[in-house]
Amino acid sequence: MLAAGASLIDVEFAACTVLAQAGETAVLCGGSAAAYYVPDDYQSLDVDFMLHVGQARHTVDRALATLGYERVTEGFYEHPVLPYALEFPVGPLAIGREEVGSWRTDRRAHELLHVLTPTDVVRDRFLHYWAWKDESAFRVALAVARAKPREVDLDAVRAWALRELAADRTYDPEEIDRFFNALAGG
Amino acid sequence: MRDDLRPALFGSALRDRMLTRLALSQNGLHVRELARQVDASPTAVHRAVIALEHAGVVVSRLVGNSRVVVLNRRWYGAVELRALLERLAAAYPEIRERASRYRERPRRIGKPL
Repeated sequence: MLAAGASLIDVEFAACTVLAQAGETAVLCGGSAAAYYVPDDYQSLDVDFMLHVGQARHTVDRALATLGYERVTEGFYEHPVLPYALEFPVGPLAIGREEVGSWRTDRRAHELLHVLTPTDVVRDRFLHYWAWKDESAFRVALAVARAKPREVDLDAVRAWALRELAADRTYDPEEIDRFFNALAGG
Repeated sequence: MRDDLRPALFGSALRDRMLTRLALSQNGLHVRELARQVDASPTAVHRAVIALEHAGVVVSRLVGNSRVVVLNRRWYGAVELRALLERLAAAYPEIRERASRYRERPRRIGKPL
């Protein structure tokens, strides 16, 4: 059971760990993954996990119940005293048209956390901006790219963006340059 | 719609009609307008939107007091789904006809249609 003073990071590690013990691989994604890398630039009370395999609802329910979390609607869990909600969007784990097959795993003491890599977080947040014109997602993508320069593969980001564009011509190609120009501009 | 004999590819005739209509829209539709265009009650459409949103194929956002629904272009199969729905629209000439008459662009109040 998580105590009242548990932090967002505590919740993320604890949830991922109990799910892993139950045989479910949950990967921190979306804005939550971005907040993990740039906590000063982005905060959220919703923790987004994508279940990579399994997705047995009763297994997830039971595992999260050991932390005090209870399902309130499909894929959405709340805690009686903690402000952080857990959300499980329907998979597959993908960024745009491309499925994500690998992620980073961080460990602390006996806990673990699966999280999108910094490169995938940049792709994910940029796509969120590209699709919905969400300027905050654009800023977060930039923040992660700047905070993790050695871990973000910008060539891979650009190549992926061009593949997305080739598949869906309704995306504005100039936004790709806008992102890279902003990044170069500092 | 209750007597609709067309197959329900997406779980129900209502979902088929909603998704088909949304594929013919650029900016999405308010729930109430979507319900009108597919001959269903706003309550039924709202329920179907919740299910489709959970599946990830549509997204909605509040605009004023009403909810606007649009196909989720971030969904990993969005391009293929839209192509399929545009084909499926041939089976729904009444929806296509209404969509062609529905104006999404802004129009000054009082300006004749």
